[in-house]
Amino acid sequence: MKKTIMKFAVLLLAIQAIGCASLGVEPWERDLLAKDEMALDAEGNDLGLDDHIYFSKEGTSGGRAFAGGGCGCN
Amino acid sequence: MLLCSVVLTTSVAAESVPASLAPNFALNAPSLPATLADLKGKVVYVDFWASWCKPCRKSFPWMNAMQEKFAGELQVIAINLDSEQHLATEFLHKVPASMPIVYDPEGVIAKQYQLLGMPSSYLIDKKGQVRFAHKGFFTERSSQYEQEILALIQESE
Amino acid sequence: MQLTKLTNLHTNKVPNISAALAAATCALLGTLPAQAAGPLEDWKIDTSLMYYGETDRVSAIETVINAEKDFGDEHIFVGKFVVDALTGASATGAVAQSTVQTVSRPSGAGTYQIAAGDTPLDDTFKDTRVQVSGQWTQPWSDNSRLSSGAQISAEHDYFSAGINSSYAYDLFNKNTTLSAGLALSYDIIKPEGGIPLPFGLKSYSAGPGEDDVGDDDAYENDDDDGIDARRADNDNKTTVDLLFGLTQVINRRMLMQFNLGYSMVDGYSTDPYKVLSVVNGLGLTQQLLYENRPDKRAKTFAFWQTKYALNNGVADISYRYASDDWDVNSHTIDSRLRINVGDNSYIQPHLRYYQQSAANFYQPFLIEGQSLPEFATADYRLGEMTAYTIGLKYGTQVNDGDELSFRLEYYQQSPKNAGFAEPGSLQNLDLYPSIKAVIAQVNYRF
Repeated sequence: MKKTIMKFAVLLLAIQAIGCASLGVEPWERDLLAKDEMALDAEGNDLGLDDHIYFSKEGTSGGRAFAGGGCGCN
Repeated sequence: MLLCSVVLTTSVAAESVPASLAPNFALNAPSLPATLADLKGKVVYVDFWASWCKPCRKSFPWMNAMQEKFAGELQVIAINLDSEQHLATEFLHKVPASMPIVYDPEGVIAKQYQLLGMPSSYLIDKKGQVRFAHKGFFTERSSQYEQEILALIQESE
Repeated sequence: MQLTKLTNLHTNKVPNISAALAAATCALLGTLPAQAAGPLEDWKIDTSLMYYGETDRVSAIETVINAEKDFGDEHIFVGKFVVDALTGASATGAVAQSTVQTVSRPSGAGTYQIAAGDTPLDDTFKDTRVQVSGQWTQPWSDNSRLSSGAQISAEHDYFSAGINSSYAYDLFNKNTTLSAGLALSYDIIKPEGGIPLPFGLKSYSAGPGEDDVGDDDAYENDDDDGIDARRADNDNKTTVDLLFGLTQVINRRMLMQFNLGYSMVDGYSTDPYKVLSVVNGLGLTQQLLYENRPDKRAKTFAFWQTKYALNNGVADISYRYASDDWDVNSHTIDSRLRINVGDNSYIQPHLRYYQQSAANFYQPFLIEGQSLPEFATADYRLGEMTAYTIGLKYGTQVNDGDELSFRLEYYQQSPKNAGFAEPGSLQNLDLYPSIKAVIAQVNYRF
């Protein structure tokens, strides 16, 4: 079950990378994505503090990354 | 409606492009003639910007300086792509612009120029041909941008 | 281990009251004001002070200072400084009894008593931890970025040092970003009293006990084979993390992220302070033995997140599935809904649900007479449990573009019986009490 889920997740990632050509917006249509609160690392301190709590009190850790999104400038 | 621009942008922003006629558009600004084509004889620097684009805050002071330095030979035009004009107005009060602003909230002109990023700028020579295209604005490349403007100004018509 | 932050975006300060006033004034006077230095400040600093308090158990205060500076053209440095202080008592892993229990503290620093019916807790651990980290991100090519960083963390019985590096590549006009990252860390565990022997004996007596229950036998090796049997002072472990991510702009309002991660831990993974009770057929504790965990752990996770820009806020929901070779499998759903209030404030409810299965060597106690397993832990944090968090955050703009915010959350963990029969008197006791905690935090960002 666990292996099937992992294989599925990898496949999904691969399909996404290929099939992503039709998704997205023009460079000048990123006004909403450029907002502070739409950044993946918005509230970075909160996310870090929460992560520390849950890492200490539970058996699992990790998950997030912060690349991508945003205004796409430069 | 999304344009299906499936361009795999692996190339570095190779700035000089094969010369092609710059798509024409109306200039609804008091200090400018009716359309871009009416500016033939001058070098034109067309910059696409928006209030939410942070590098634009660095590009404006530089564009102001270029407009002042090469007044008469160079016309800088800043095309705003904000969907709501009040956002552009607020930006301009924090970051003043001495060049005229053209408003393109629907992105019609942007589509004509097939922008690949924000901000984007196009250097048009005296014959109305696009000669350089920049994706993004990098302070460390300002002198390179200035060299390009100078080169086009020094060309005969 | 947390992997790096990779940001390629430039945050855009939300127009605030003073900017609007300036704009209005401009319109009236027909002049341009002097260029404000505001939006071009060099450093962005985010500070937080958090209180975490469990009912009758652990409390902690944690403070964070996060400082970010853009050195121009996307060359960004982020420095972070964290201090946290912990007090209170944690569950030792021993099981409750219907009579008073007396247990020795680590390093023989006296004994403490546990009331009848109570879950045994040990309050020896008041500790302060300091952590410093630095991260540097810069463009690598026209469409890619490289980020590298390091961190160090130290407390009196634990030291950790780590480095990380990641690469992000944009495709399709930056609508798609692929990223890959690697992190390595090296930890040194130097517990009070030294590293106990696996299943070593911990001094214990049922009832009020005497003043001195004797030295912990766990630290002495009774072998007389001549091999030096000193207790180990410390031990270490290394962790390698790999992360692969894909961020995709779906449309003008929606962003999605998919991450896959793989982590390998090698080294001392046992909790040197945790024990298991050995109970007889009547449920009475006979001995306390130190726990023992495998010295390797391989973990994987899949993470999916969506952020959606509403007209007046942001909806954020994520799901993580994690699994490892200790058989701890978990599901996490985390959601936040930001609702803008007026021009400058927002409220943000938060809901999180967590569920995990017990490690394959988890057992709430050992049974007298049965042979010792190779590995065993009664630490409820590796047992079966569900947990939920419910919270509310309020934030508002102050001064010129600064933000003040408050967060109040309630976190409840409910450990569950993963299918272990309870002998004798243990049936009358609550062996899986819930842990309830309050989180209160204030942030200031400028």
